[in-house]
Amino acid sequence: MSVAGTSPSTTSVSGNNAQEQAYTDGVKRYQRGRRYQRLSMILTYIVLIVWALVILAPFAWLLSASLKTINQYYASPIQWIPNPAMWSNYIEVFAIYNFGTYVGNSLFLATYSMIVSGVVSALVAYGFARFRFPGRTPLFILMLSTMMLPPQVLTIPLYITFKNLGWIDTFLPILVPQIFGSAYSIFLFRQFFMGLPRELDDAARVDGCSYLGVWWHVILPQSRPVLIVVSIFTFLWSWSDAWGPLIYLNSEQTRTVPLGLLYFSNGFTTVYPQMMAATVVALIVPVILYAIGQRYIDSGVAIAEVK
Amino acid sequence: MLVLRRAGAGERAWRPVGPVRRFLKQEKVAGWVFVAPWVIGFLGFNLYPLLATVYNSFTKLGLFGEAQWVGLKNYQQLFTQDAPFGRAISNMLIYVVLTTTIYIVGGLLLALLLQHKFPGNHFFRVIFYMPSLMVGVGIGSMMVQVFNGRNYGLINEALGLLHIPPVEWLNNYDHPWMSLVALIVTTFWFMGGAMLIFIAGLKGISKTYYEAAHIDGANAWRRFWSVTLPLLTPVLLFNTVMTLIGNIQAFALPLIFAGGGSGSVGAVVSVLGYHDSLSMFLTYLYQEGFVDHKYGYASAIAMVIFVITLLMTAIVLGVFQRFTFYQGSSE
Repeated sequence: MSVAGTSPSTTSVSGNNAQEQAYTDGVKRYQRGRRYQRLSMILTYIVLIVWALVILAPFAWLLSASLKTINQYYASPIQWIPNPAMWSNYIEVFAIYNFGTYVGNSLFLATYSMIVSGVVSALVAYGFARFRFPGRTPLFILMLSTMMLPPQVLTIPLYITFKNLGWIDTFLPILVPQIFGSAYSIFLFRQFFMGLPRELDDAARVDGCSYLGVWWHVILPQSRPVLIVVSIFTFLWSWSDAWGPLIYLNSEQTRTVPLGLLYFSNGFTTVYPQMMAATVVALIVPVILYAIGQRYIDSGVAIAEVK
Repeated sequence: MLVLRRAGAGERAWRPVGPVRRFLKQEKVAGWVFVAPWVIGFLGFNLYPLLATVYNSFTKLGLFGEAQWVGLKNYQQLFTQDAPFGRAISNMLIYVVLTTTIYIVGGLLLALLLQHKFPGNHFFRVIFYMPSLMVGVGIGSMMVQVFNGRNYGLINEALGLLHIPPVEWLNNYDHPWMSLVALIVTTFWFMGGAMLIFIAGLKGISKTYYEAAHIDGANAWRRFWSVTLPLLTPVLLFNTVMTLIGNIQAFALPLIFAGGGSGSVGAVVSVLGYHDSLSMFLTYLYQEGFVDHKYGYASAIAMVIFVITLLMTAIVLGVFQRFTFYQGSSE
């Protein structure tokens, strides 16, 4: 206390005053804090809502455009709710622009990648996570460094090889590399496996389980989140990949959805509403997959985090 | 050698016994067997193509005929006579620096807004993250129309509300670089990926640091600069490197933007856009390698892309090395 009191009574009074003062100050500060917090919360909401509208606007526009006639499409100001709604655009996408085949091709390639690359990556990750063998660390670092390398840069020799094998315009150049797993998936799996308790592995080994048995019966059942995340990411990567299909596939029958969209935009005159309907078809798949795996993707991205 | 015997009532009817089985049971052998697929894939799909690309880059190699050794001629031509490639380098520099900055700063801002629990938090997260899962031709096909010139594109319509005249984004013959601007603006839709990783990173920062800062009387601004940012540097580094590498690989969006969004351009659509305004590393590699089938020359382009990727990663790592801070024993 700064005031050096002459008599005890004055000291106590000024002490009381100071206390009261401090108390009311505290209350004020608390109220100001609350008000400040409320205000910042309101500001946060405003920013978030505005930003959400910005993000959503093109998608809303896309949906509306996919249901328009060409005249409605060009109308300004934008008609957000087309009248009449041309649901036939979607039928045309499949019936006239052959998107049934493209969607089938894309689904096949993506499902294959998801299963084959996923299984192999999980096996390799098991090797990295649970076994001590000479060269493990350098090999793992090597694998991480391949993730830094843009894969498209390596396409030319592979293209020449695949051409000599007669694989161009077949799915083989896209299917075969999946057999060897993907560095990114291996990394995700390995990080997850490292966090699983080893005691269960050991117990299973003592009970006579083989290494492969431990992987199947012990590791995988505990790895649901990472399995879902890797599956969704692998599927979506394949679904949206344009580079591989553009280079290795050239006949109309082998086209994937991205190629269908690229040639849609290149080959015909004004069929924008139909093209937007095809775009909706291409984008609806990620939305569905995200809806399924959303809970896991949120935490799955955390697996990808460093360490 | 390989002895097979019938296993009683086991799951598998046949299993190898004897030396092979004992050999495979060794931990180091089993480890190698499990990682073998990746090692084979690495040799076949990484190492071999890398070496072959290095070799091819010194040759003249086309659709027909054998490779002819030409020494450094491809590189010489690339750096002295190739205008579209020069444009690709300058475009890439602008594009990569700006998009990476937008991603990281925007992703971090969104993460800071969404790091605490409040009603609706989840909803916003989903909306912000969703477009990041859609990168590629699909979203490009949508964005091209959104940036359509005249007044029926969504962006121009929005500008119209602010009384700004419509901008010719993609087919601007006076200012071809407008299409690059449009391409960079689309980045604002993809910040969600970075956001999600930052939210995870923010959760990992121990509360005790904030409490200590609070007691020392640090305000929110100060807490951000002295606690959050330093402790987030590992995540920031990871995010920046991954974003950078991802942005160098931009392909589908520039390709579809180069078409200008008019389906009527037909077969004469240039992969690089009007006046090479959208010449990017990969679109140029695609054009030289797989449209013109100049494999030797394209290999030289690939090597330059490869080296620039390594350099940019090294620069980011070097810069961060000076500031990266790992928190002691939290978690």
